[in-house]
Amino acid sequence: MQTSLSSSSSSDTKPEMKEHCDHRADCLKMIQLILDGEATEQQLAGVKANLESCKPCIEMYHLEQEVKELLTKRIEKRCCPEQLVATIKSRILTFS
Amino acid sequence: MATIHEVMSDTPTRDEDQLLPDGEPIEQPSADTPARGYTDEQKYRIFNKEFMPHIDSMYNFAFRLTTDEDDANDLVQDTYLKAFRFISSFEQGTNAKAWLFRILKNSFINDYRKKSKEPAKVDYQDVETTYNSEDAESEHTVDLRAESVSDLIGDEVATALNSLPVDFRTVIILCDIEGFTYEEMAKILDIPIGTVRSRLHRARNLLKEKLRDYASSMGYKEENEE
Repeated sequence: MQTSLSSSSSSDTKPEMKEHCDHRADCLKMIQLILDGEATEQQLAGVKANLESCKPCIEMYHLEQEVKELLTKRIEKRCCPEQLVATIKSRILTFS
Repeated sequence: MATIHEVMSDTPTRDEDQLLPDGEPIEQPSADTPARGYTDEQKYRIFNKEFMPHIDSMYNFAFRLTTDEDDANDLVQDTYLKAFRFISSFEQGTNAKAWLFRILKNSFINDYRKKSKEPAKVDYQDVETTYNSEDAESEHTVDLRAESVSDLIGDEVATALNSLPVDFRTVIILCDIEGFTYEEMAKILDIPIGTVRSRLHRARNLLKEKLRDYASSMGYKEENEE
């Protein structure tokens, strides 16, 4: 995956916090890959420095993480009604 | 595509066949175990040991897709009966959850979406066209802070999720709620991994916009109460 993240580090290698990000959309995609556990080692290594020094990216990371947590932890998980389990089990016995 | 009646009938039809893993099975069969020819005893064992443990996740998925308890009931039942009928195309020990989710998603598209009151298809196409034409995928980020949404309750998050067009809702459910990998999602949805990635990205942008609306209406309420 081609991102423009690396090009920013050549012109700006200072360790201080960046207040502005020129590649928000690309960074966001990478952040989602990381949080989804889909980023390769190479991709991770490529963005690690940026993610530690870019304020807007850190904020985006926290937002994506928060939204993911809202979805996994706050939304009610519905259990399958007992009656449906019983119906399915009895229906398959009449097959074959 | 199969009509509802064809799919519901007890005789397997050519159309129904296509709802199930065909050319490319969800998992490649390993060389030493034959994919077909289970005895009745084996069929029931696979069904109970490998399929039934996923029934809560399946019900949850069905309910999030249909947003209706009765439809979710019917969809889960149809899916499990189809799964049993076509159990010979399931390779024992492979990814049963992904296999079942794929059948459920296909049943939903073929049977339920048609009769659904929700004009999801139209909305989805509108959104997809808009997003493609603006190339929003590469430019668009939603201006929202993590702290603004951290107080939202489950019902508000669920309502925001339910308000998304069904294809966008689906990728978020599969990824964030059910924890499928992109590769599994690609197989469940019959789309390339790149499409999974971009659809998920768009879906999340839409969801964040909805969450932002909730968060700001909440903030407004608080201000008024003070």
